Amino acid sequence: MDFGYSEEQEKLRKEVSDFFQNELPSDYSEFPVRQGKALEEFYDDFQSKAVKKGYPSAGWPRQYGGLGFTGMEQGIVSEEMSYWGVGWPATMGYSLVGPVILSVGTEEQKARFIPPIARGEVTCFEAFTEPNAGSDESNVELRAVPDGDDYVLNGQKTFISGNKRPDWLYTLVRTADTIPKHRGLSIFMVPGNAPGISYRPLPTMGGTRQNEIFYDNVRVPKTNMIGELNRGFYAAMATLEFERAAASLDARRGMRRLADFCRKEEKNGRPLIKDPEVRKTLAQMAMFQQTRYLNSWHTIWYRTQREKLGPMKYELGLFLEKSFRWVSGNAMMSVFDMYGQLKADSRYSKYGGAAGRAWEASRAMHGAGTPEILKVVIGNRGLGLPRIPRKFNAMISAELGKE
Amino acid sequence: MDFSLSEDQEMLKTMARDLLEKECTEAVVRATLQREEGYSPELWKKMAELGWLGLLLPEQYGGTGGNVVDMAVLFEEMGRAMCVSPFLSTAVLCGQIISKAGSEAMKNELLPRLVRGKVVLALAMTEPEAVWGHRAWEPAGITVSARADSNGYIINGTKLFIHDAHVADKLVVVARTKRLKNLAEGITLFLVDTRSAGVTCQPLKTLSGNHKQCEVVFKNVMVSAENIIGQAHKGWTPLVGTLKVGAVMLCAEMVGAGQKILETMVDYAKTRVQFDMPIGVNQYVQEHCVEALAALDTSRYMTYQAAWLLSQEKDCDMEVAIAKAWTSEKNERICWYAHQVFAGVGSTEALGVMPIYTRLGNVSQYYLGGPEHHMNKIADEVEKLPVPEKPRGKPLGLWRPGKEGLPSWDIWQKYYEKNQ
Repeated sequence: MDFGYSEEQEKLRKEVSDFFQNELPSDYSEFPVRQGKALEEFYDDFQSKAVKKGYPSAGWPRQYGGLGFTGMEQGIVSEEMSYWGVGWPATMGYSLVGPVILSVGTEEQKARFIPPIARGEVTCFEAFTEPNAGSDESNVELRAVPDGDDYVLNGQKTFISGNKRPDWLYTLVRTADTIPKHRGLSIFMVPGNAPGISYRPLPTMGGTRQNEIFYDNVRVPKTNMIGELNRGFYAAMATLEFERAAASLDARRGMRRLADFCRKEEKNGRPLIKDPEVRKTLAQMAMFQQTRYLNSWHTIWYRTQREKLGPMKYELGLFLEKSFRWVSGNAMMSVFDMYGQLKADSRYSKYGGAAGRAWEASRAMHGAGTPEILKVVIGNRGLGLPRIPRKFNAMISAELGKE
Repeated sequence: MDFSLSEDQEMLKTMARDLLEKECTEAVVRATLQREEGYSPELWKKMAELGWLGLLLPEQYGGTGGNVVDMAVLFEEMGRAMCVSPFLSTAVLCGQIISKAGSEAMKNELLPRLVRGKVVLALAMTEPEAVWGHRAWEPAGITVSARADSNGYIINGTKLFIHDAHVADKLVVVARTKRLKNLAEGITLFLVDTRSAGVTCQPLKTLSGNHKQCEVVFKNVMVSAENIIGQAHKGWTPLVGTLKVGAVMLCAEMVGAGQKILETMVDYAKTRVQFDMPIGVNQYVQEHCVEALAALDTSRYMTYQAAWLLSQEKDCDMEVAIAKAWTSEKNERICWYAHQVFAGVGSTEALGVMPIYTRLGNVSQYYLGGPEHHMNKIADEVEKLPVPEKPRGKPLGLWRPGKEGLPSWDIWQKYYEKNQ
């Protein structure tokens, strides 16, 4: 048992934290009010400074542009990122695409794709979800047909997050009609500007952008296939595992800011923080924050012990993260009451309009699996609970059709 | 960061599991709960022989000098086995208070006997009125008075919900010796023999088994100044330090119980057949199991983090309060989820262990502070959080409130233009 950090780890933490404190503008806020070119340029510039230090890919081998640290040190970088409320514009590459290529890609693919990802020069989208493949990931219909040295892709993806034009679409495709369906899937790195690709934005209520992406006779060379033919589902699951484990580590700053706000703001002549209801809400948030912090570190630690402990049976991270978002969104509203409805640019707005944003964010919690499907996965894989055999699904559908 | 147990701790865990599976079976637990003493003296003797009672005590008094994490491992196993005994009262609460604050004579007299299982101790702290407003574990809750007298002190008043007082040889009594503005000052700890004139212990009729908790009445009880543990009027500090260790031990106990509950409920969900299928294929049932799993894992991490921080003697008021509030709340939830999965079977005394887990869980949830008490503590700590550091870079003016701009990706802009 050890819930502390080694001296070297503390040194790294200090270094990373100092970097963020010195590089971030004094008026920085993790809740941008205005989006636009200037903000994007700032983030790109900020990321390239961090890349020079090697922080975004600290846990990757040196030969591919990392710092050769373990997952623990990468976790410390992530923790400080959460503390300062920053994210990398190329985060998909760092947290999902990079790790999967490093684990299942060929040497040639690693040499080709990883260094630009490590340098933060490319933007990747994770293009998995389709209109008919949501929770049922194996139902992907976007088809890839071999033709000479290429594959030809036709179909549609939807709810693909991303606010920046992508360089690579990390796409899950169907390469064979099999039963069970998940044994006919493969993964391709598709250039984002390939002829035949078109994008349609899907704005969401939280103010972020998602996309529909259409593939019309898109040609992709065979060498862009990540992992083995028809084994894409397993790589996809590994990707989702990374995504599901990437819960943010530290909401310390959020708690400190909120505590500070509640100390200063008054309600009926006394500080908000003396109000019993507010105190209860803050205590709940502190508890939920602790669950995420400890669970994230447990996952990171487990990964470094994998050889000794075997594969992880289940991962609570994203499930807890989603419960937390729900709780914190509602908690913010319960503290701020009607002020929580105001946008940041209202002159009555409190707390930079963050209360409302937290509430809106709590609705956008379905990436990498809805909380419901996550529970099913934890139940089946983690606890070994039985599931209805697939063959009955068709029977049930047919039965319902008759009625 | 390391979430694994050491080799010694793994050994301790295995040894505890082996003994308790043999000696503390469901039948033994049921019989024990019916006994007048409320625990099994035979099992108590075996625990003493294995050195468990002295796990936290220094070697010079016969202990093994273990730390709080070792003790948590043991408590997890005792919780799993539903082992009821005066262990927490004797070896953790009173044992630690005496070991940390007692005089050398007192330690030499009591601790070696404690380690050998020859003496049972109980902590007499909580009072009837103080339970309201969650003040039972706070300085404000201490009103039982000890008045100075030419021969020492005279104690008067009633303590309620005192665990194990009916079987205790001696009590550690928390009494007010001075009324000062700061209520944490003026509290003194006394070692009182339960056979002293004027002390009466009356077991309470509780849901968890009738003889675990008592009303203890002090009527003009004479105590000599030699029986003060630590310094007069300064008893709160050693007391509160020990309460933290005790709270974490209760968390470990609830984690152990939760683990066993989860195992039995999942097993039942897999084997109980209704509508020609195991009930575990139903996602309502699965949800109960998964929620219980999440509640249990998070409780375990919090418990061991708090135990580790205590073992390192680091500042951990926040972490201990979080562990106890969360684990207590989640223990109640885990029992509820299990009852939902077991349905009628879960509430039937003869058919399963759930009634025992639920009742004992209810004791652990509220002893040494329930969720409300500890959430209040968390809020106190949140109130003390520092102001977050500010970044120092040149301001860019990008985050000022103003007209919300459109996203920059040209396609999105074009799309908007076309559709507006």
